[in-house]
Parts: sequence; C-alpha cells; structure tokens
Amino acid sequence: MKKIHFTRRNYVQLASVAVILLIAVLMFIVGRQHTVLLDNKTVEHEGKTYTAFSIVTVEVDREGELELAARDRDKAEVMGQRHKITVVYTDRSFEEHTLVKKFKVPIGQDMVLLSIPALVGEADESVWLQPFFPPTAAVAPQAEVLPTEDVLAVDITF
Amino acid sequence: MSELRETRKEKILSILEKNSVPILFTVFCALGIPLSGYSYGYLGQEIVVRIARNSFLIIALLVPIMAGMGLNFGMTLGAMAGQIGLIFIADWGIVGIPGMILAMIISTPISAFLGWLCGKILNMAKGREMVTSYIIGFFINGVYQLIVLYGMGSVIPIKNPALVLPRGYGIRNTVNLISIRKVLDNLLAIKIFGISIPVATLLVIAALCFFIIWFRKTKLGQDMRAVGQDLEVARAAGIKVEHTRIVSVVLSTILAGYGMIVYLQNIGTLNTYNSHMQIGMFSIAALLVGGATVNRASIGNVFLGVSLFHLMFIVSPTAGKNLIGEAQLGEYFRVFVSYGVITIALVLYEVRKRRDLTRAGRLLAQDQADEVEAKQ
Amino acid sequence: MIKIRQFIHSFGWPRIIIGLFLLSLFILAPFFNVNVATSISDTIVRFGQNGLMVLAMVPMIHSGCGLNFGLPLGIIAGLLGGTLAIEFNFVGPVSFLMAILLATPFAVLFGWGYGKLLNKVKGSEMMIATYVGFSSVAFMCMMWLLLPYDSPTMVWGYAGTGLRTTISTEGFYLHVLTNFLKFRLGETLMVPTGMLLFFALIAFFMWAFLHTKRGTAMTAVGSNPVFARASGIDIDKTRTLSVIMSTWLGAIGILVYQQSFGFIQLYMGPFYMALPAVSAILIGGASVNKASIVNVIVGTFLFQGIVTMTPSVMNSMIHTDMSEVIRIVVSNGMILYALTRKSEATR
Repeated sequence: MKKIHFTRRNYVQLASVAVILLIAVLMFIVGRQHTVLLDNKTVEHEGKTYTAFSIVTVEVDREGELELAARDRDKAEVMGQRHKITVVYTDRSFEEHTLVKKFKVPIGQDMVLLSIPALVGEADESVWLQPFFPPTAAVAPQAEVLPTEDVLAVDITF
Repeated sequence: MSELRETRKEKILSILEKNSVPILFTVFCALGIPLSGYSYGYLGQEIVVRIARNSFLIIALLVPIMAGMGLNFGMTLGAMAGQIGLIFIADWGIVGIPGMILAMIISTPISAFLGWLCGKILNMAKGREMVTSYIIGFFINGVYQLIVLYGMGSVIPIKNPALVLPRGYGIRNTVNLISIRKVLDNLLAIKIFGISIPVATLLVIAALCFFIIWFRKTKLGQDMRAVGQDLEVARAAGIKVEHTRIVSVVLSTILAGYGMIVYLQNIGTLNTYNSHMQIGMFSIAALLVGGATVNRASIGNVFLGVSLFHLMFIVSPTAGKNLIGEAQLGEYFRVFVSYGVITIALVLYEVRKRRDLTRAGRLLAQDQADEVEAKQ
Repeated sequence: MIKIRQFIHSFGWPRIIIGLFLLSLFILAPFFNVNVATSISDTIVRFGQNGLMVLAMVPMIHSGCGLNFGLPLGIIAGLLGGTLAIEFNFVGPVSFLMAILLATPFAVLFGWGYGKLLNKVKGSEMMIATYVGFSSVAFMCMMWLLLPYDSPTMVWGYAGTGLRTTISTEGFYLHVLTNFLKFRLGETLMVPTGMLLFFALIAFFMWAFLHTKRGTAMTAVGSNPVFARASGIDIDKTRTLSVIMSTWLGAIGILVYQQSFGFIQLYMGPFYMALPAVSAILIGGASVNKASIVNVIVGTFLFQGIVTMTPSVMNSMIHTDMSEVIRIVVSNGMILYALTRKSEATR
C-alpha cells in the first residue's frame, strides 16, 4: 500500500518535470525572435521582373507601419514563427490596394529577407521569402577589460 | 506572569531598540531629501521602480531566516544561476515574456543544485552559517567565472558573436538584455499621479508574498520554524533537521534566481561578472534596514527596507554634493551605510541574543523565588 | 601505511592537493620556458610582502576569536601611519620607522575597540569581523577625502584636497627593507634579505610571546575557556589583547607590503586583503582555532607560490590566463574547507 503511494508521488514528480520541459519548449518556440528584413528593390526571377514601388507602406503583425521608398530596406523584429504582413501600395493607375499575407519563418532562422515587389507580384513564396545570413563584418578585436574579483571594480594586486 | 514584571520604561526602550535601524534611516532620509533637492514625484517614481525591481530578490532571503540559518549570503548562487539562464536566452534569441519564463526554467535546476550544495556545506558548518554562506558565494563565483569566462563559447556552444569576447570564447563583460528589457514592467503599466506603476511585476511580487505566507502554514514551513527555534528540540520532535535546512536553502536559491531575472529585466543590461556579487549585499542591507534581524524577518520588513534603503541610495550622492560639494563623498557614504547597517544589525542581534538569555535567566530566577515565597 | 594515512588525515586533502599542484607547476615550468629562478625569486619577494599579514591571523586564532576577517581594520591603521609619515615629510628609512610608530597608536586604539566589540559577540566573531573590516574601509573612503592632508605628493593635484587612490612610496620608504643586505644568486634569483629578516624577527617575537605566561594564557582562552576562567585568566582582556596584536601586525604588514610593492593603495584597496591572508594560513595547515608560526611560513609560501606560478605556467601552457579564477577557487575553497571542519576544541 505504502509502496504504491510512493510510486504515485514519483509519477507526479515525473509528470511535473515533463510539463515544465514542455513549457520550456513552448517558450522557446513562442519567444523565438526573428528579424524580418523588408526589401523594396527590383528583383528578377526566372525572367520575370518585379519592379520596386516608388513608395510602399508595410506592417508586420502590429509592429508599427514602415514606409519604404524604392531601394529601401528596413527591418521588423518579431516574436514567434507565424506572421501576417500588410502591404499598402498604389498601382500604376494610382489605385490604392491593401494586401494581407500570412507567412511562416522557420524556427532555426535568425533572419529572413522579404521582397515586397515579389510578394505583391504574386511570385512563389520561395522567391519573396528567403533566408538571410548577415555578412560577418571583419571587426577589429576590441580590447576588453577582464573582470576582477571584487564588487566595486577595484584592482587588487596581490 | 513574567511579562508583567517588566516596567513600562523597559518596554518602550525595547520597542525603540527593536526598530532602531528603520528609525535611524527614516531620520537619515528626512534630512537627506531636502538636501538633495529632488522632487517628491521623482522620488516616488524611483521608489516604485526599485520596489518592483528588488523586492523579489529580498523576499528570497526570508525562507532561510525562517529556518534559523541567518541571512543567506549564498543568494548570490541563485543570482548566478539566473544570469546563466539569461545568457542562454540572449544567445538563442528568445525574447519577451517567453524569454523570461525560459530563463527561469533554465535557472531552476542550476539553482536547485547549487542550493543543495550550499545546504549540504552549511549543515557541516552549523553555528557559522552566515560566514560560510558568504565564502560559498565567493567560491562558486570562481566556478561561475570558470564556466562563463572560459567554458562558454568553447565547451558550451554560444553562437551569437555579440555575446562572446573577441578572443572567441568567454562571455563579454556586459550582455545586452534589450530583448527582455522591462517586458514584465511594461506588460501592464498604469499611471497614477504621474507615477507609472508596473502592475504586472507587482502582481508577481504579491503572488510570491502570498506564497511565502501560505508556505509558513504548511507542514514544511512549520518544520522550518521549529528548526529555526531550536535544532535539538526539532530533532527530538522527529523533524528531519538536516533535510529541512537544505530545502530552505534550495528554495531560497531558486527564488533568488527568479529574483535576479526580474531584477535584470528592469535594468536591461547584465554585468556578467559583477551583478551577482553586488546583489547579495544590497538585498541583505535593504532587508535589515527594514527592521529585520538575523532570526526574524517579515514581508513588511522587505517593503519598508526597500523603500528606506533605496531612498537613502538615491538621495545621498546629491545630498553629499550639495552639502560638501563632493558627489564622490555621497557615493562612499552609501557604500559605508550599506556595510555599516549590516554590521550594526549583526552586532545588535548577537548582543540582544545574549541579553535575552540573561534576562530569561533573571525572570526564571524571579519566578522561582516567587514560588518559594508562595510556598512559605 | 597507517602512518601515511594518519599524516594525510592530519594534514588534510586540500593541502596535499594544493602542494602537489604547486609541485607540478614547478616541474612543468622548465618545459614551457618559464624561468624557475625568477619565479622562485618572485615567490620569495611576495612571501616577504605578505608574511606579516598572514602572521596577523595567529593571535586571534590562538585566543579563539577565529580567522581575522577584519584584517582591513589593521591595514587602515597602517595606511594612516604611512600617510602621516609622508605628510610629516620624513624620508628614507626614517619614514618607515615613523610610519610604524605613527601606525601603532591607531592600531592599538582600533584593536581595542574591535576587541571589545568581538567580546560582545562571542561565537560569531568571523561574520562580524568581515563586516567590521568592510564598513571601516568604506568609512575610511570618506575620511581619505575629508582629512586635512596637504602634502603635494599625496593629494589630488587639481583639487588640492583629498588623497589620491594610489600614492607612490618612492623617496619615502620604498624598498628600505628589501634593499637591506639584498643579494643576488646568479642572474635572476634575488633575495630581499632585509624583508625576510624583518619577518623573521617579528615571527620570532610572536613565537616567544606565545611561550610566555600571557601567551600560554591566550592559547588557553582559545582552546579551553572554561579551564582558563577557572585558573583565573581574564578572558575578555586576553581576547582584547590578541585582537590588538592582530590589528597591529596587520598595520605593520601593510607597511612592509607597501615598501616592497611601491604604492600605498587607499580607498577600496584594503577591501579584500583579508581573504588571501586567511586562506594562506589555512593552506599552511592552520584551522579555525589552531595556528602556529610554521603554518604561517608554509602557508604563505604555498599560497604565494601558486599566485606567482599559475599565471606564468598557465599562460605559456594554454595561452590563457586562468590564474585569477584558480586563485579564487583555491583560496575560497580552502577557507570553506576550514570552516566546515569540526573544531577540535569546543568553544
């Protein structure tokens, strides 16, 4: 009788650890930050040209509207994987259109490059949403002071 | 019976003495505020910010006091665990509230392990827990540096170059926590009389307070208080003394880890090798300023302590500058007061402990004399 | 075999590990082009620098006051002596003598008060000692700014008041002991005879004192207070005396340190100076309530050996300076070990 009670306790412990791990994984997924680079540049793909807009307003989720002139690039930092982009543009006949599109960022990807002309031009998703790897700039190594043991940053020579 | 024997004068004196530190600080602040020239609105805002920032950490100190283990200078261990959690989420790019929760989850096993270790060692050093926990803080700080300064980036993978020292391994002196900066504070901020109040943070702290109140009433909490009252009596009553003490330290360390995360989300930058060392001292000083002693501390002490201690902290540099023309003096003054208040509190506690013993002896002798008289 | 085991038991594992570690550093050193002679010379110099501060632990341990974490208080007395000697414009070896003389009244006064305080808190001296040290350092930080010093070598140039954070002892008592009878063995091995002699002298006095009637009384107070009281020893007085002695030794210790190191470090300088001294005597085989002069000598040599050898050997071995971290772990680990031992004597 006692033994059964004991194992039940263990089950509860095990279950709570599992739940916590699950929460951890969930938090990892939900809280993952991605940078979406919004690009308003003319792109060519398989012979098709998607011309840049002279001016376009975009908003990713509710992060605030961004205005992009031609050849502009801006970024939106977003949390999680599923996002919605709202593009407000005027076509050649000066008519205003609003395009809302949903997209997903793979969890392992820090940065994605989103081409607005390609998106509006109804290109394939693989064309308007591409993984982006920031160029590792050659920065001269800065001398950084190594920490000392003490609270108030006093150097003690001993 | 024995209570009646004390004169009224003795009673007033003992009340005054019990609250001597808060009274002293109130006087300090009362003198310092006009000297500093800060407006009340500004000071009010600062105090609200600091209550939200520091209370969680200070409440973490309450549990070992309950178990009679004195001021847990080993809370730095929890702070280190919290920082390790934060370094990881900063590296993985987990942001916002989920980032904080993940950091807390990561810190928990580390804190628990360190707390368990600390508890084990403290059980080997009964009677000098405080100085031992203080040295444990230093010792584990060495291990922490070994891991963070040499292990991270070489053994433990860290991919974000913004975190790693230029030499290729080791975490930089400062880690930018912009991704979780004030996320909890801003989650539910309201403005009252021009003072913005971080309701969400305060709610978390309130929840912790209720947890502590509830915890005192549980079997474990009762056991802890029994252990704190008298080790041998508790042992005779069948309480697993060693185990209870370890649990109290583990709990305190875990809470300190969470507290550090709450603290750093408000600050927004992590001083990788310094933040945790300062925090222990300031938290303990604040708690003592609130009128707590080595063996008795309540939630009220926490809030009174944070307010008074930080009021002094904000006011003293400018007050020093306006009074003597030297801001540096004020800086030193507040360092001195932080250490001084801990010293005074420790000395008062010891002196009082001895005097209470003699007074108890005296009262007992009187009682016995009464009995003898009554018999005659 | 049993004897070895007994030896290990009495000596303690940590000390053996530390000893072996140091030995291996010395063995490894030549393979990594580290000059052993320089290292030994450095170790000897550091031994001379720090020996007295480690010796300052002895009286308090003997009288049962525990490890003197309040060493900064003694150091402050020494700093006052040193700065006053410079302020009064003594130069050369005289300044060192005057520094000691000027430091003495402060040391006695501070030690007396500190001793009285520790008598009120028997049983938890160490925690309170730590914080007495810290708060006195913080208090003196304010004082260094406010005290009316005006020697141009010491005050901030632009303000004309307030002492600098570091003050050079050059022209005053720099190397007065180190250079006394100094000799060289070969190219690199330098022996600061004067400093070692000074240490030996004070250590001898300490040893002699511990064998006088008062000295044995002090040991009795530490090891068996009940017996001590029964035999008519004034416990509080003896303890106060021991604290005064410790404080004075701390004051002299920092002056010796400064004359070799070349700088007086004010403000937060003395803050953490107690920890290395405490761990040194513990490495030497002392415990919380037992210490001898041999412990001081062995401990200081081992500790300073590690401090000198680790950076140079580690640096050339793995091209990383992990010495700081190793020092933190070793010294605090040692203190922790000592604190968790069951004390042989009941207090």
